[in-house]
Amino acid sequence: MRAVVKNRIGIFHPQGFLDGTNVPMLLSLEDIQATEKLDVDMLLVSLKKVIFFNKNGLDVFVKLLSNIRSKLHVVIGFCDYDTKKYLAISKFYENDLNFSLFQTQKIAMLFAASNKEDSKKVLVYNPEASQRSSIAIELFDNGHHPVIAQSLKEFEEKKQNADAFDVIVEETFLGLFGQKIATRVRGNAIIYSVSNYLDAEISDSFNIAYHNNSLNVGFRLFIFDAYKVVSMNIHAFNFFSKLASAAAEYNATLCFVGLTFEKTPESFKNDLEDSGIMFFDKMEEILENKELLEELGGSSAAVIKSKRTLNKVLVNELPRFIDATVSTIEMMTNAKASKEGASVQDINIDKNSKHIASSIGFYGDLDGMVALSFPHSIAKKTCELLLGEATDSDEEILDALAEFVNIIGGRVKSLLLEKNINVNITLPRTYTSIDALLQVVEGKKGVQVDLNFDGENFIFFLTR
Amino acid sequence: MVKIDDIKAYIAQIPPAPEVLKETLAFINEGELTKAATCAQEDKALHVYLKTLVNKPIYGFKNEVSELSQIFGILGTSGAQQVLYNYMLTLLSPKQWELFKLNESLFFELQAQLNQQWKRMLRQLNIDDKDIESAITLLPASIIVCEALFKEHRDEVMLLRSVKEMDYNTILKRLCGMTLFDICNLIAKKWEMPPTIAAIVHAASGTETSNDDTIDQLGRWMHLLLFYEFSQAAYVEAGLNDFLEFHIEYVEPIYDDFMSLMEVPCEP
Repeated sequence: MRAVVKNRIGIFHPQGFLDGTNVPMLLSLEDIQATEKLDVDMLLVSLKKVIFFNKNGLDVFVKLLSNIRSKLHVVIGFCDYDTKKYLAISKFYENDLNFSLFQTQKIAMLFAASNKEDSKKVLVYNPEASQRSSIAIELFDNGHHPVIAQSLKEFEEKKQNADAFDVIVEETFLGLFGQKIATRVRGNAIIYSVSNYLDAEISDSFNIAYHNNSLNVGFRLFIFDAYKVVSMNIHAFNFFSKLASAAAEYNATLCFVGLTFEKTPESFKNDLEDSGIMFFDKMEEILENKELLEELGGSSAAVIKSKRTLNKVLVNELPRFIDATVSTIEMMTNAKASKEGASVQDINIDKNSKHIASSIGFYGDLDGMVALSFPHSIAKKTCELLLGEATDSDEEILDALAEFVNIIGGRVKSLLLEKNINVNITLPRTYTSIDALLQVVEGKKGVQVDLNFDGENFIFFLTR
Repeated sequence: MVKIDDIKAYIAQIPPAPEVLKETLAFINEGELTKAATCAQEDKALHVYLKTLVNKPIYGFKNEVSELSQIFGILGTSGAQQVLYNYMLTLLSPKQWELFKLNESLFFELQAQLNQQWKRMLRQLNIDDKDIESAITLLPASIIVCEALFKEHRDEVMLLRSVKEMDYNTILKRLCGMTLFDICNLIAKKWEMPPTIAAIVHAASGTETSNDDTIDQLGRWMHLLLFYEFSQAAYVEAGLNDFLEFHIEYVEPIYDDFMSLMEVPCEP
């Protein structure tokens, strides 16, 4: 059994009855090795389709997840359970509950380190005061607005007014949490939450691959939410200096918000400012100041000034990228997709066309990104297998489109591996309009391939 | 991936039920077990199959049973019909399993387990009906069909499943508009099985209900039994646990009775 990965959360979906004899069979050695290679922030087991489990069965999962946590520093636990299952797990691990429990996957997503969800107003209740606080702190760090109910009575009262909250978090428990720095995307700015003492460990807890890819795909504003930082030492200082130099190549801006210098040498601030990092007292000073936001690059995912050009290695591998795209479409629709023409150029797309688009970045032995732009109807048709019942919801279609490019990314990865080229793929990104896509790829040289599917054209664009 | 033409081609290549089997079944339906045994003698493979089956520990005989008349006598009309349908299904099963890590013996074991457990359930439900008893025999056809249609597409399915939780049945339905259970129905028709069999197996998919409460109730029991068996270590290892989607809410009404019958403590 393999974990399904979405938004950097890996979830196993066992079914039926779980006990000590069958769970080891669910996870072969290859499955465990594949899980260890996943680039995720959270690894969970969904109990949605499990009708019966005993402690021996859960123990096997807990052991596997704990091993992975010690290697990858990810959040581990269970999700999708009802009250009966929640109480059973709490009883089984009464004195040893060091993993997390999330009532639903939706709730788990609120706690994921790389959170791309909009800010949510969340009602929180847990009978234990320490859990209530931990949950609220994590939610806050991830950019949400927690409202804590201090008693069951207060919770039941507030719950009556469910419309006042986007999400209600109950029967949720935070065990040992991952050590990764929480990351959230607000518009076109990326916010990292850092806390406590910033030292040499920052290089382990900071997801540099994610950061580099965010630069590659056009993010220009990176904010370190540092309200809870006590102090910074020379190792962390060096880390941020290097990060600032790398950002400069992309004309990107790094900012610190809320960092105090009571226990951090004031000279660090001056030196970091010299390397281009900016300091603000409050987050609102940036996020609520449109002019400043535009100046800093957070109002749009703008074109990178120091453009990176296509290289020969990437162009040589172009057929693999196209094969992966075409074969994925054919696999998912049982219809033929054909290549109409290909050329090296800036992206050429009618700005007035009502296309939606998605992209996925890759990095490693090769780096770059693939963008696909579809007419709405073709996007829907392409993703029918993932969508299931017919839908006209843009959100669902974009979500399926993200899954679709993820599959293409997975195919590209395996096709390249056959030639001993190792790449990793980024999170997929979707665009509701051509304008949004152009903000990222306009002015970049790339290979544009016009493809035809079901009588309509769509665009494949490979760039760096 | 799988196309509707692949399904048509698959259905077309399913042979009709062999004449010997048809005649044997006809004698069983008339209650003529001795004549049925004589007729069945003509099919050596069937003889071996029946002998191997009834001498399984699950049947609990101390001494080896080898004579066909003796075997039919032990099985009775309901049991004999059930076993003959099981045998027909083995004619459809692949020599070499590729998608699932199954083999002849493990598949045989699964059939035997399902038969015995289903009988237990029908006893519990006070149902004594030959066709209903035989309904369980068609259920493993879904595994055989899935193997045949998807064995060439294992990697593609894995890739799909890396981003979305989907079972083979759903993939087939979305791609071709037919489920594995629809195909089972077509097999049942081709083999002239009683309509009740196909109806119960369809209800056991957990995705479609019939307009008949009894059929749906039996479908619930069968759906839960299927996942009870698919949760056994050997079948989990064979990859059967997640080839279909388990519909937990569908079986909830009968869950406590099921667990009590199977003597499993109802936790959580």
